[in-house]
Amino acid sequence: MKPHLKIGLIGQPNVGKSTLFNILTKGNVIVTNWPGTTVERNEARITYKDRELLIVDLPGIYGLSYLTLEEKISRRFIVEENPDLIIILVDSLILERSLYLAIEIRELTGKAIIAITKVDEAHSKGIHINYELLEKHLSTPVIPVSAIKNMGIDTLLEAALNYAGKEAPILKIDYGELEPFIGSIESIIVQQLHGELKYQPRWLALKYLEGDIEVEEFLRKNLGSHYLELEEVRNEAKRRIGLDIAAFTSMKRMSYIREHVVKNTVIKADIRKRGSRVDLLFYNPYIAPIVSLGLILALFLLVFIINTGYPLTSLLESLGYTDLASRIEEYTFSSLMEKLFEFIENVISHFMGKSALESFIVNGVLGGVASVVIFIPLIAIIMATLGALEDSGLFPRLAIGTHALFQKIGLSGHSLLPITLSMGCNVPGIMSTRASPNYFERLKLILLTPFIPCQARLVVLLAIATAIGGFAGSMLVPLIYLISFSVFILLSYIIYEFFEKKRDIEVEILLEIPPLHKPYLRVIWWFTWNQLKHFLRKAGVVIFLVSVFSWGLQHLTLQGAYTDNVSESIVAEFSKYITPLLKPIGVTSEKSWIIAYAIIVGFLAKELVVSAVVTATGALSPQEAFRLIGLTTPSAIALALFVALYIPCAPTIATIYSETRNIRYVLVSIALMLITAYLLAIFAYSVAVLLV
Amino acid sequence: MPEIASLDIVKEGSKVIVQEIRGGGWVRRLYQMGILPGSRIEVVFNKGWGPIVIRVGDVEVSIGRGIARRILVKADTA
Repeated sequence: MKPHLKIGLIGQPNVGKSTLFNILTKGNVIVTNWPGTTVERNEARITYKDRELLIVDLPGIYGLSYLTLEEKISRRFIVEENPDLIIILVDSLILERSLYLAIEIRELTGKAIIAITKVDEAHSKGIHINYELLEKHLSTPVIPVSAIKNMGIDTLLEAALNYAGKEAPILKIDYGELEPFIGSIESIIVQQLHGELKYQPRWLALKYLEGDIEVEEFLRKNLGSHYLELEEVRNEAKRRIGLDIAAFTSMKRMSYIREHVVKNTVIKADIRKRGSRVDLLFYNPYIAPIVSLGLILALFLLVFIINTGYPLTSLLESLGYTDLASRIEEYTFSSLMEKLFEFIENVISHFMGKSALESFIVNGVLGGVASVVIFIPLIAIIMATLGALEDSGLFPRLAIGTHALFQKIGLSGHSLLPITLSMGCNVPGIMSTRASPNYFERLKLILLTPFIPCQARLVVLLAIATAIGGFAGSMLVPLIYLISFSVFILLSYIIYEFFEKKRDIEVEILLEIPPLHKPYLRVIWWFTWNQLKHFLRKAGVVIFLVSVFSWGLQHLTLQGAYTDNVSESIVAEFSKYITPLLKPIGVTSEKSWIIAYAIIVGFLAKELVVSAVVTATGALSPQEAFRLIGLTTPSAIALALFVALYIPCAPTIATIYSETRNIRYVLVSIALMLITAYLLAIFAYSVAVLLV
Repeated sequence: MPEIASLDIVKEGSKVIVQEIRGGGWVRRLYQMGILPGSRIEVVFNKGWGPIVIRVGDVEVSIGRGIARRILVKADTA
């Protein structure tokens, strides 16, 4: 069989690229990173008519400038990876605008065909496109598709097989007054670098004139003294054109699209209402923040209830429906999962008997698997919710609605997604900061999102709250959420006020608003499944290894022998040095090393804090454990606050490192959280002693 | 509205033509989105604070006020 064909899928954001990619590949995706970056590269091998196709999903971009990493990745792929074909996706609902990228790509390569997406929707909106004429104007094959309705997919694959490897001449737009300058730069490049170029000389000339820094670097390195000639030509061009050359060329491309491409190809029956009533809710800067935050809060309450029963169970309890509350709690995700693993544990113990190996399998390996699996439904619910918001087009509206609020603390509406995701798990939260187009905003979010309490911390807080009981117990969770968010807001404000304002850093929003529609279940499923795979890949492995490792710390002595008694373990030895630090929060009894020990274990994964306390004391419940240690209510409150804030968990740390590739950010993040948590815990203890 | 105004002070419902975009890191993204000298745009939403919403071609785009201040426009009389 002939070797596989490499096909790149490219398009602007919102054109329906991931839907088409998923339909083409049926989910058999291989995820890697683009060389030298943390941007994910999704590709899949499929077979069509006995040919193997390698389909590569390129990042969603608006054009081919050098500005964003995604744009650079895309142009490198097109030229340096030498794919057999590029499929350019163009949105039938916004034909003119989404053709811009297609034009830019056709100026760079002749190996491309165009897929016009969402044609079913366009048809129902009364938009009719003459595809044959469009094909003629573009001198590139044009195939109408609707991924969600499975229309045109076979035709597209057929065309891909037909055109792969064939090269049409590149598109030459008439740039008018700029043409002589393009010509002279092109001829300098051709004379000096003939034959050794992967890039089209005309494209290099054009990009150089536009002020493309990457192309500039390339030419400076390769042209030697002739580079000065280029600079002269460009200065002359700037004088002649009289405005930013990049603006001039963009205008020319747009008018080319209007006058030569879409002219007479589109008929629109203008039946669309402009600015629906729903939109006005999200655009209005007075109402939007309330509506947006209210909606997100409501969704999260729902997720909380499904996962843990909280706050519905507390509400029912306070109204006197204790039975109903405990019934509901029994059927929440976290308690169902807990029961499942308890059952498996019992089965294994029953057949193996008590031994070091049994302990390793049950507490080490199974415990590790459990702490990963327990989060799957939790993360899945949050991702599905967000997937529905995203696919329906509601999420960008929420981002716009909250932008004005975020701006007050030096963030933009782009930070809504990372913050919302972080309430589920900090790991995808930090990964999603990539969507922010501002570099400083992104770093700030990476540093501060670990303060947002995740679901693991919610589980710990609920356990401590139950142990405390009474009014103080019922107020604990809302109080700690309030404090955590206040810390996030305050730190963000401080950084803005004292560092960013001086440097004139603009936190702004520039966001396309896609039309609202009913979310597709299939798309939500893909979104959820992809995010889950991310989580398993990044956090799953770390959590698992850490659980196994922590088993070793808890069951081996300093001499390396196995022990059943945690107080003899490595970690217990180590905790004794930390115990004095717990005095300011009132933890002073001789068993206080257990708290220190739980804090160390919790660094690995926060949900382990409570179970560490319970197993180390040999108690049956957290309540009993706290009583055995002699933990007073003020100390328990301080401890809960400390655990909520004290450190990003191990998988989060791994993510911070992989996103920044800078160990300093990791250290700053840890130091910032430790100090904040410690000071606040001492403060909370002093206040609680006075009040309780 | 003065002859040339920045986009952030343009009233809701007005149709304008972009004259100039004054620098800032967002320029090229604006160009790619079709917001560049000569583009006809309609201000869909502008309440004096918070992001404004414009329509360019068939697409609605939300623009922060800091960016809008750098976009100079004149009334579209056609």
